[in-house]
Amino acid sequence: MNGSRSFNDRRVGVAALLALALVWQLMSVLFPMEIVPGVPMVPGWQVVVTRTFLSLSNFWEGGFGIPAASAGTPPSYGVAFLSLLFNSLDTFRRLALGFVIGGGIGFALGLLLSLSEWSNRFVGAPLRFIRALPLLAMIPLFQLWFGIADFGMVVFIAYGVGVIIFTSVINAVPRVPQIYRDNARTLGASKLRTFYTVTVPAILPEVRSAAVIAVGVGWAAALGAEYLGAQSGLGRIVVASEAFGYLDRMFLTAVVIIVYAAISTWLVERGFARLLRWA
Amino acid sequence: MNATVTARRTTPSSSPRPVRWRPRVDVVGLCGVVAMLGVWQAMSVHFGRVVPSPLTVANEMAKNFISAPTFRHYGIADAGYLDAILYTAGNVSMSMIAGGAAGIAFGLLTARRRLLRSALDPIFLTLGTIPIFIAAPFLLLWFGISRFSAVAIVAIYVATIVYAYSQRALYNLSPVYEQYAQTLGADDRRLFWDIMVPGTLPEILGGLRIALAGAWGLAAISELIGSQRGAGKVIQSLANSVDVKAIFCVLLLLGVVAAAIDALMALVISRVTAWNRAGGNDHE
Amino acid sequence: MNETNDRTAIAVHNVTRRFQRTGGGEVIAADNMSLTIPRGEFVCLVGPSGCGKTTMLQMIAGLLAPSEGEIEVDGRKVTGPGPDRGVVFQKDSVFPWMTVIQNIEYGLKCRGVPAAERRALARRYLAHVGLEGLEESWPRELSGGMLKRVAIATVFANGSRVLLLDEPFGALDYVTKHQLYDVLLSLWSEDEQHRTVVFVTHDIDEALLLADRVLVFKAGHIAADLSIDSPRPRNTESLLQPAVVAHKRTMLEHIGLRPSGGTA
Repeated sequence: MNGSRSFNDRRVGVAALLALALVWQLMSVLFPMEIVPGVPMVPGWQVVVTRTFLSLSNFWEGGFGIPAASAGTPPSYGVAFLSLLFNSLDTFRRLALGFVIGGGIGFALGLLLSLSEWSNRFVGAPLRFIRALPLLAMIPLFQLWFGIADFGMVVFIAYGVGVIIFTSVINAVPRVPQIYRDNARTLGASKLRTFYTVTVPAILPEVRSAAVIAVGVGWAAALGAEYLGAQSGLGRIVVASEAFGYLDRMFLTAVVIIVYAAISTWLVERGFARLLRWA
Repeated sequence: MNATVTARRTTPSSSPRPVRWRPRVDVVGLCGVVAMLGVWQAMSVHFGRVVPSPLTVANEMAKNFISAPTFRHYGIADAGYLDAILYTAGNVSMSMIAGGAAGIAFGLLTARRRLLRSALDPIFLTLGTIPIFIAAPFLLLWFGISRFSAVAIVAIYVATIVYAYSQRALYNLSPVYEQYAQTLGADDRRLFWDIMVPGTLPEILGGLRIALAGAWGLAAISELIGSQRGAGKVIQSLANSVDVKAIFCVLLLLGVVAAAIDALMALVISRVTAWNRAGGNDHE
Repeated sequence: MNETNDRTAIAVHNVTRRFQRTGGGEVIAADNMSLTIPRGEFVCLVGPSGCGKTTMLQMIAGLLAPSEGEIEVDGRKVTGPGPDRGVVFQKDSVFPWMTVIQNIEYGLKCRGVPAAERRALARRYLAHVGLEGLEESWPRELSGGMLKRVAIATVFANGSRVLLLDEPFGALDYVTKHQLYDVLLSLWSEDEQHRTVVFVTHDIDEALLLADRVLVFKAGHIAADLSIDSPRPRNTESLLQPAVVAHKRTMLEHIGLRPSGGTA
């Protein structure tokens, strides 16, 4: 019965999203103004899945024996699909690298500094300030420091993700109830063993919440980094479209990114689900 | 008779709490802050060209705080950092009020209505996932480069966060309080003002605090993408001319103001919800 | 048995209550039950978990509607919760966002009693339950037993003529429990015209110490209706009187336990 109920909830949710898509379509009929000839202010779905999707062919940089769009390859659904696929893969690569590096360093460093109460407090205070720095507004600084190539973007994403995971570890360790640690100690566990058999598992639920937030932040960071200077990726599609007022292309990219974000959040939750079967 | 005040409660929630590690003035934490400044200084010695020293940044801040004639070279008004941060703070406040009100209203409305909840949850989730780098240009093209657009963009994200917190707050409020109030004679109006509002306040305020922390960065970005004033606009103009010490100034100012207001809000929350053990301090 | 007169405080007429079980099927928590409780009587509803005693209490409180039949309190049909029937809940229901004194005043405030008058009343009951000096404390600073004292003071201060208590002392330690029996009984006997009390418990000794009358519930029926004539004040010694021991044996048999131990 519970299962069928949550199934019902999901159906209502899907219906609500469909209704939202319908409202969009309705708006496209009500506001037919165009910014650029042929590009409506509110691009309806019939435009988005045809002309807009085709136009992604323009971002094809060549490969598989198909020359780049700039070399005169005519737009086609096949090329548009390849273009979307490879630009997405570029963004995925940066995001995945940044997420793993930043998350890994943040987690390890957080644990290392939490081995002692003193080091935890020592980094905790400046961390509060560093976390208050607006991440996305720091993109120009990171470009200056690490360049606008892949390296700079990965470092930026890693920083955004790393700060979140690091903070969650630093905050979570002091909150682990002392009774669990005491219990392990009275059973004969050494300090180190208590740390990795009691403290580390106990903070994982909090790290999971942080990781889910970090996925969202990671997408924003990846897009932002690409937006402010990349030769490929979804962010570059957005910035190139914006420059010419192609709202429809931006809209299509937004829909694609929402789907990607949902999938990647689900993946991270799945990953933690195994570790947290007890919780 | 044990009529003395004890902090002990014999409810299941009385599992031993972790000992708080932070005393009022945390000397160790203070040392950490000093160490951070030291690292910064060391970095500036090494990478002088791209990392200005703390002193350089402080000088720049002092010189251009009230008015900054050099800004005119970058094509922006010559008002100083103060004007930029005040403009951004104004945008943030308006977004918090508009987005917060919408988030609280929809969150409370959906908390006890399953059908409405399963309909609105995915919509708010979707809204919250739209990357600001796409949402911002959309609103700017629809409504023009105006303060309204800048505020609306941030308000959307504030609303999605506050929505989730408000909904959970009322959803988790034990029905025993409402039943008890009813048996004591409370009517619907009293149930709302005396039970639901105070009972959900800590979690809603916690959500507002988290939304506020994010709002500064979002406001800066929306200004960076399309505005004539504000911290984001200054960053954008200066980034093009590679003025690192000025970028540092704006970022630090944003960080300091955001951290200060966050601390102030934490204080207000712990006062307003003095009855609550968590006191709003544990919302991270 | 079913007749009502002006001496009757609570009258339950042919009440049935069913619950849908998750995963299908039905549970009958009250099966065509009728009972009358005269004014001023202290009645305990006793029985194992799931026998329907809490369901009955919640229906009298108006927090739960009967599937069939109806309940009258003071001649008026119960349609919802109201201040004429005070409830002390099993869980802690004292509002954590109000101070102790604000909690005790709350019901009076809802009924529009002037501030000075309700403050005086609240102080009187606070003293009566032994918590003077804790007016401005937050509930989180109080122990479980003290929270129950606040809840009892609140319903008595609110002036309800019918009090419904749902396993109020279940989670407390032995000594605290006995202290609270004294508090409850002294407030109950304070009024010239006793208030009617319905007290749900699974603790047979508790029922024998408190009640004028014990109703033993079993699977949605009343299995036994016993008058406890043991003189008040009672103490743990009273439980050893032959008449009380006989009652205890009857109750244990109905619940399904042989007094000598083991299951019947």
